[in-house]
Amino acid sequence: MAKVLEGPGMGLMKKWGIHVPHYSVVTSADELSKLGHVNEWMKQTKLVAKAHEALGSRFKLGLVKVGLDLNGAVAATKEMIGRQVGSITISQVIVSEMVPHKDEYYCAVKSTREGAEILVANCGGIEVESNWERVKRLCLDVGQTPSSDQLEKLAKDAGFTGPIAKKMAGFAEKMFTCFDNEDAQYLEVNPVVTRESDGELIALDAVTLLDGDAKFRHPEWNFQFAAEFGRAYSKDEVAVMAVDSKIKGSVKFIEIPGGDTAMLPAGGGASVYYSDAVVARGGKLANYAEYSGDPPDWAVEVLTEKVCSLPGIKNIIVGGAIANFTDVKKTFGGIINGFRKAKGDGKLKGVKIWVRRGGPREKEGLDAMRALKDEGFDIHVFDRNTPLTDIVDKALQK
Amino acid sequence: MSILANKDTRVVIQGGAAGVNAARRMAEFCYLIKRPLNVEAFVYPPDAGKANEIPYGSGLIAIPIYKTIAEATKHHPTINTTLVYIGADRAMKGGMEALDDPHIKVVSMITEGVPEKDAKLLGTHARKLGKVFNGPSSIGIISAGACRLGVIGGAFDNLVLSKLYREGSFGVITKSGGLSNEIIWICSQFADGITTAIGIGGDAYPGTDYVSYLEMFENDPQTKAVVIVGEMGGDLEERAAEWYGAKKRRVKLIGVVSGFCQESLPKGMKFGHAGAKEGMKGEGSARSKSDALKKSGAIVPPTFGALGPAIKDAYQELLKSGQVKEPIEPAALPRLPKSIEEAMKADEVMVAPLIRTTISDDRGDEPCYDGYPASELINKGYEIPHVIGLLWDKRLISKQEAEIIKRIMMLSADHGPCVSGAYATILAACAGIGLSQAVAAGLIMIGPRFGGAVTDAGRWFKYAVDNKMDVDEFLAYMKKNVGPVPGIGHRVKSLRNPDKRVKELVGYVKSLHIKTPCLDFALAVEQVTATKKDNLILNVDGTMAAVLVDLGFPVDSLNGFFILSRTIGLIGHWVDQKRQDSRLIRLFDYLVNYAAPKRREVPPLK
Repeated sequence: MAKVLEGPGMGLMKKWGIHVPHYSVVTSADELSKLGHVNEWMKQTKLVAKAHEALGSRFKLGLVKVGLDLNGAVAATKEMIGRQVGSITISQVIVSEMVPHKDEYYCAVKSTREGAEILVANCGGIEVESNWERVKRLCLDVGQTPSSDQLEKLAKDAGFTGPIAKKMAGFAEKMFTCFDNEDAQYLEVNPVVTRESDGELIALDAVTLLDGDAKFRHPEWNFQFAAEFGRAYSKDEVAVMAVDSKIKGSVKFIEIPGGDTAMLPAGGGASVYYSDAVVARGGKLANYAEYSGDPPDWAVEVLTEKVCSLPGIKNIIVGGAIANFTDVKKTFGGIINGFRKAKGDGKLKGVKIWVRRGGPREKEGLDAMRALKDEGFDIHVFDRNTPLTDIVDKALQK
Repeated sequence: MSILANKDTRVVIQGGAAGVNAARRMAEFCYLIKRPLNVEAFVYPPDAGKANEIPYGSGLIAIPIYKTIAEATKHHPTINTTLVYIGADRAMKGGMEALDDPHIKVVSMITEGVPEKDAKLLGTHARKLGKVFNGPSSIGIISAGACRLGVIGGAFDNLVLSKLYREGSFGVITKSGGLSNEIIWICSQFADGITTAIGIGGDAYPGTDYVSYLEMFENDPQTKAVVIVGEMGGDLEERAAEWYGAKKRRVKLIGVVSGFCQESLPKGMKFGHAGAKEGMKGEGSARSKSDALKKSGAIVPPTFGALGPAIKDAYQELLKSGQVKEPIEPAALPRLPKSIEEAMKADEVMVAPLIRTTISDDRGDEPCYDGYPASELINKGYEIPHVIGLLWDKRLISKQEAEIIKRIMMLSADHGPCVSGAYATILAACAGIGLSQAVAAGLIMIGPRFGGAVTDAGRWFKYAVDNKMDVDEFLAYMKKNVGPVPGIGHRVKSLRNPDKRVKELVGYVKSLHIKTPCLDFALAVEQVTATKKDNLILNVDGTMAAVLVDLGFPVDSLNGFFILSRTIGLIGHWVDQKRQDSRLIRLFDYLVNYAAPKRREVPPLK
C-alpha cells in the first residue's frame, strides 16, 4: 500500500474526469508569486495553503491556512517552507482555490477480497465519521464495472434525491474508473461539495492509496510514495529502502523512537511474532526490521548497521524461524560484519545480543555467531530446539 | 492421505532459475521418500527446446523446457499441477494460461509483489473453473511422505528432522513461509508430524483462504487437527473462526495470530506482509481475530511460544481417545549423496588431482605468483619483468636483472611489417580475422627461421661454456653434429654494418660489470665466424640468448622472451590495420612465378 500526497492524488483524479479545485504545488514563495501573475484563479478566488508533506494534524500545527488572497498565500508559503516539524523539513506547499459551497458529501472506493466497494454518503466532513451508518455501499466483483442504474440506486439509498442523485452517481462512476485504472487500493473524497457557481460536484480533499506492486505498469506515476504514519522516513529508513529496491529478497527497517529493544529478525511472519513477544513482555520496541527471501549478505550488513545505530538500545533480537531457503550462514555473515563495524565505531556498548535461528547451513551460521563471544560481544545463541520467541523472554526477564 | 498434493501430483514449473532451484529441492524430497521425481516439465520461453538437469540422488534427470503450458501438457498429459515462479509483471498472464489448461487442477504461485487486482482476477477465475489457485507469495505446499511443491520444508536435513518422510496427523496453514517450516518442526517435535502444510502467502488477498483448505482437511480422514498461523489484517482468520464455529467439526483447530504489538505502536505503522494491515475501524486486528477464534471453540495459545505445548496437548488427547497411534519410524532413511566438495570438506574422500601447478594460485581474493600476492608486488614497486621471473623461473629477480629483461623486450617488441610474424598478422587482420586469431597467426611464424632461434642459441652456447669448450672446438662440434650455429648470422647486417640492437644490449650488459660467461663466449665465436664471412655476426637472438642464460633463465623459456615481446608488436599491427579498415590482401599475379604445367586436357576417368 502506497500513500500519495494530495498534489499527485488530485492529479490522478483530474485525469479521470473528476473535478478538483485549481491547485498548484510550489517549493518557494517566489515561485508562487510568479505563478500568481499568470494564473487568473489565484487572483480571483480565496486560497488555501497547506504544507505538502506526509504530516498528520496539519491544522493543529498551523500548517493549513484558509481564506487567503494571493499575498496572504505567498506570506503563508514563506512561513511554512523550511519549517522543521519533527524529522520533516517542509519543502512543498500546495495552494488551492477555496470552493464556496453549502452541502458536503462523501464518496470512497475501497479494495475488498471480492473486488471493490463504492461508498457514498449524503453527509461529509467530520459529520460522516460520527454518522457511519449513513454510508451506503455497492459491492463489486473484480473485473465488474458498476452500471449507471446500480450507481443511481446507491445514491438514492444514501438519501440523494432529484438531479443531485444522478450527479453523485456520475461522480462515483468516475471515482471507480480512476480506482480501477490506477491500481488504487483506497480512494476517498471527503468532502465532495457542490460548487455554488455551476452546481458541479468537486473533490475538495482526497486520500489516495495506490498498489505499489503495480508500479511496473504505470510509468506515468512520476511521484514518490509518502510514509503512511504521519511522519517522513528517516535517513536510515530511506537508506534501507534504497537497498531493498536493488536486491533479490528484501530488507525492511522502521524506527520507533524511545524504545530500548532492537529487532533484527528474519521473515515477514516471524518478525511480527517477535515484536508481539517484546510487547507482551513489557518491552519497548526500538524499531521494526526484517530480512527475508535470502537477501545478499551486504544488504543484511547495511540493515544490521542501522539497527546497531539505534539510540539507547539494551538488547538486539536476532530471531528467526527455520528458513526454507534463506542461507543462514551467509545472512549471518552479513549480520556479523555489521556487528563488527558497529563495535569498531564504538557502538553496542553494554548491548546484549540474542540469536535464535534454523534453516539451510544453520549449524555453520550459529557457530559463527557463537564465535563472536571471543571478540568480546555479549551474545547468546540458541538453535531450533529453543522455541521461536523464548529469546525475547530471556532478554527481557528482570 | 493428504490434501492438494499427493502421490499422483505431476508438476510443471513455470519460470527460470528460481524454478530450477525449486525442482532441485523437490527432487531431494522425492529421493528421501523413494519416489520418482514429480517434476515433468518446465515452461520458460527463453530456454524452450532445452532441458534443465535436476540432481536426483547421485544422478541427473533431464527435464524438458517448453514454450507454453499447452505444449508441456500435450507431451506430459499426466501433469495436473503448476508452480508459478515468473516475475510479478508477467505472473498474471502465466497464471491465467495455466488455469485455462484443462489438465491443470492446482496453480500455486510463488511470485511476490503481484498487484492485488491481478491476484483477485486469478482467484476469481480459478473459482469459476472449480480449480485451486494458491498464493501469490506462497512458499509452497508439502504433504508428508507424498509430495513437495516448492521449497517449503527447507534443506534436506530439515526434511529429516521434521519427519516429513512419513505422514502425521496435523494439517498446517500459514501465510508466512518461514513460519510454515517452524510449525512443521513443532508438529514433529510435540506431536506425530503433519499431513499437509500449505503456505497461502502473506498478501492481502490470497487466491485461496483458510476456509477452503479447512474444508479439505475436514474431509481428509488422516488429518485430525489443523494449525493455522494468522496475521492481523483482512478477515481470513475471522472467516476461519466462523467456519469452525458454524457446526461440529471433526478436526481440532489450533490457531495463533500475530500483530498484538500493533496496539502499542504509533498509528498507521505497518509491519510484515503486505496483507498485514489493520482496517480503519479496528477490524482485522490481532485481538479481534484471536477473540473470534477463541469464541469458535478453537484452541488459541496466548503466545507463539505456547503453541508447542498446545499441539502436544491436542496430540496426547488424540492418542488417548485412540484416534491416532504412535507412528512407526522407518528403520533407515536414504542419505542425500554429498557433492565432491562437501565430501572432501568432511574428509570422506580423496581425489587424485588432474593437474599439478607450482607457479601460481588464485583461489584467494587475488592471484599469487610463486606465493607473492599481485597487489603486494605492485605496491612494493615490482614490475612486469619480476612477474616474468616469478612465473618463468620461480624466483624474485633483482632490479638489475629486471632492467636487462625490460631492455630485451623493448628491443624485440617489433621489427616492422615485412617480417613473417607481422606480415601474417596483417594478412589475417585484412581478412577480417579477430585479434587473438590474427596474433596467433603471427606467433605461428616464430620458428627455426624467424625469431625462434633464441632457445637453440642459448642451448648451444651454454653447452659450450658448461663443457669448457674453446671456440674452435665448439665450431667443429657444431659443424659435425648440429649445423649452422643458432644465433650467428644475419640476412643484411655485417661487421661493418652492425646491428644497433645488439650493440646496445651488449654495451649495457657489459657496463654492469657482472659475470657473463655465455655472452663472452658468443662474442668470441663471432670474432671467428665474422672473419670467415662478413655477415656471420652475433645476431639479436643469439645476444638475447647468451644474456638470458647468464641471468640464469632456463633454456626452455628463452623463446618465450621473443614471443612475449613480439606479441606487443603483433597486437599493434592488428589494431593498426583494424583502425584503417584495411581491405583484403590478394597477391598480384606479377608477384608469383607460375611454374606449374601449362593448361592441358583432362584425360577420361579410368
